[in-house]
Amino acid sequence: MYDFNYHRPTSLDQAFEIFSNSEDASYLAGGHTLLPSMKQRLAAPTDIIDLGGISSLEGIKSESDELVIGALTNHDEVATSALVSSEIPSIAKLASNIGDAQVRNRGTIGGSIANSDPAADYPAAVLGLGARLVTNKRVIKADDFFVDMFETALEEGEILQEIKFPKPDKSAYQKLPNPASRYAVVGVFIASRNGSVRVAITGAAPSVFRAPELESRLSESFSVEAIENVTLESELMNDDMHASAAYRASLCVVMAKRAVADMLKIS
Amino acid sequence: MIIEEKQEIAASPEKVWQGLNNPETLRSCLPGCEEFELLGANKFLVVMQAKIGPVKAKFKGEIELDDINPPNSYTITGSGKGGVAGFAKGVARVSLASLNNGDVTEMNYRIEVTVGGKLAQVGSRLVSGAAKKLAGQFFEKFGQELSV
Repeated sequence: MYDFNYHRPTSLDQAFEIFSNSEDASYLAGGHTLLPSMKQRLAAPTDIIDLGGISSLEGIKSESDELVIGALTNHDEVATSALVSSEIPSIAKLASNIGDAQVRNRGTIGGSIANSDPAADYPAAVLGLGARLVTNKRVIKADDFFVDMFETALEEGEILQEIKFPKPDKSAYQKLPNPASRYAVVGVFIASRNGSVRVAITGAAPSVFRAPELESRLSESFSVEAIENVTLESELMNDDMHASAAYRASLCVVMAKRAVADMLKIS
Repeated sequence: MIIEEKQEIAASPEKVWQGLNNPETLRSCLPGCEEFELLGANKFLVVMQAKIGPVKAKFKGEIELDDINPPNSYTITGSGKGGVAGFAKGVARVSLASLNNGDVTEMNYRIEVTVGGKLAQVGSRLVSGAAKKLAGQFFEKFGQELSV
């Protein structure tokens, strides 16, 4: 390794202060993107600020009509939480299918969302449920949060503290995992609440996005048949060695249909 | 990998052409550009800091302008080394067309990008998106700067 300064603050204010006073700092959550990048020398921050000592970033709780998950909660904790399973089971299922056991025991929900990898799973749940993202400075709506590939509304040094998911009537997540990494080639999260339906798609484009056509058709008639003949525009889809843009566009509808079928099974 | 886009700029082709040949304009529009110096005729030294997600690498390279046909088109060839991160090469064909009696310029660009080294190994799934994003940022800023 090369030299860097390691910090382990115990409060958000302290963490932000260290960030502001460093030349080129990075926050460290689970480290599952940052550390491999550093080992490959693709990133070389002067200062690493380990968020692991900040207790206000931890915990899962239910607050009236919202499920609140601390940013530093790892995927395994979410997957095995009885509270998550009873309040929003689709989130527990989503978390249980991220990466492998090692990844799930280190990687965190906040890290995944703040990093906003184009193929990460959590952004689909955040946008699909219309969550609120609480930072050390403000509250950001999911619709305003994801900007572009690896780009969010978070400002330089801003720290994601917790995610407040509104409890839906029903929700489901379906993805086609890459067989090696388990990243979503395409993942679709659907949530319905008081008759309105939100559909968020990850993996398919540079950033997670909502699919208005699927949403309006499903709001009209919540059935697999309602979206049978929808074709999504492939022009803006990712095209790489794993899947062509046209294949991804088609997968969006296939995964959406599977998620709808899952939701119809929930009584 | 090939990126093909077009963009309309609210300025005459002559003005857009001047911008495309002005090191200062190019420097301020290139995302993360730290240096953009004239080396010789139509040749520039470029240092840029590329930041995409967790990846932050400094690239040093040269940019050369060829097939110059003012004020209609040219080719930019650039290649850069990012130390251990790998290397990137790009050839961009830029052409301009006059719209609206010359008040608006349609700029077409076609970029061919090759990356190698660790960037290509680790980031194969992300390279195309990253290149599109950087090119998009450049041409958007370029358009804004000239429209003012």
